[in-house]
Amino acid sequence: MSDDNLSKYGYDFGNDADVVLPDDPNFDAWIAQQAPSLNDPPATPRVDMWDAIQARLETTQAAQAGAIAGVTPLRRRRWVLPAVIAAALLVGIGVDRYSLRSVPSAPSSQVAAADAPAPVFGPRPPEARPTAKSAPATAPAAQVNDPSRLYRLAAVQTLSQAEALLTAYRASNIAERNPAAAKQLGVWGRDVLSSTRLLLDSPAGDDAELRPLLDDLELVLVQIIRVSGAPLDESERALIDRAMRERDLLPRIRSAVPAGVAGAASE
Amino acid sequence: METEQAVTPERALRLADQRTLVERARRGDPIAQRTLYEEHVDRIYRLTFRLTGREHLARELTQDTFVRAFAGIEGFRGDAAFGTWLHTIAVSVSLNEIKRRKREEARAAPLEEALTMSHSTPVSDPILREKLAAAVAALPEGCRTVFMMHDAEGFTHEEIAEALGVTPGTSKAQLSRGRAKLRLALAEFAGEWNP
Repeated sequence: MSDDNLSKYGYDFGNDADVVLPDDPNFDAWIAQQAPSLNDPPATPRVDMWDAIQARLETTQAAQAGAIAGVTPLRRRRWVLPAVIAAALLVGIGVDRYSLRSVPSAPSSQVAAADAPAPVFGPRPPEARPTAKSAPATAPAAQVNDPSRLYRLAAVQTLSQAEALLTAYRASNIAERNPAAAKQLGVWGRDVLSSTRLLLDSPAGDDAELRPLLDDLELVLVQIIRVSGAPLDESERALIDRAMRERDLLPRIRSAVPAGVAGAASE
Repeated sequence: METEQAVTPERALRLADQRTLVERARRGDPIAQRTLYEEHVDRIYRLTFRLTGREHLARELTQDTFVRAFAGIEGFRGDAAFGTWLHTIAVSVSLNEIKRRKREEARAAPLEEALTMSHSTPVSDPILREKLAAAVAALPEGCRTVFMMHDAEGFTHEEIAEALGVTPGTSKAQLSRGRAKLRLALAEFAGEWNP
């Protein structure tokens, strides 16, 4: 498929996007009558949606202004690239070592395939695709140095941590939890938030599929951190629960993290 | 595309008002944000609903559209109407969500199944209604988006082109292709439009 078939936003219109087919005026008139009945929208829930938009904007603005304790405003930082690569290298080494331990007798080409997790987001460069035939003996070293692979590994690590955190948050009852546990959750949340923001600020943040997930994760993490050190507030809890539910956050994270890698990534 | 339309005095006034509102929203004025929201929310909600067919998704995607617009309003250059910019964001978030849901069909029903026809349609035959909804759902993404925006929601080809990042010619061609595919899919009911 050539780029000519794509819109400037990447939508695919096929090979003959500009070819006009013969019309049938009778059918066109008929279908134009029917079309408004397709997915006919109900009344716009203006007030509800505005309340939710305002809450999200306030949270984002407060986080950007540094008004939430422990949340550093997100800004472009020159050290982000080396920091993400360094973190990803550590994770990559951990995942590789885990894979080597779990498949001790596998030939080197299979190990190269096994050590490359396959998150469902983002395009994977051909050289990173695990095929036993094509993987040369030097593949592991080459893959560790491949920046796109490093970002994917860093993303897997962060999303694995986020999954654990959100699961812990969901299992806990904020209304009854003790202050020490709440504080611990906040500290953990800040760590995951930092990693999330590093990713957002890195080329991984340009991934069209990963970006919305990281954006949503950032929002929920900021909300969790905000309530973790504050007086207990049921409405805040409800806001977070709603954000997690409406955005399918946990299922999306789980589907983005390849099975079996979460444990390795967190080691 | 509003910038290509004739500039009447009323329209010039509206555009000036809009520029002022956008400038105020850029400075974080909540009243300006609310005014822009009230002015555009209906069309954005209707568009996201047309494309996804699910109320909770349309609500979520409409919220996403406005949050992204207000958070990124610094990036709005003002060379198109604010509404056009919102449509671009709304189409983008909707199509991304549709793609994501399709990938998760094992977990959730595909969105095509959510395409429904209301009973207000002039078509009385329930089988035809069902087949029409299925035929529209089966259209390729580009065709379906253009068809829904043009025929269901009344967008012009210029507005569609701007929102999708294509030329108006491509929008027209996609509409004609979409209609041709529907005509073929519904051939057995040709008596409906050829009485």
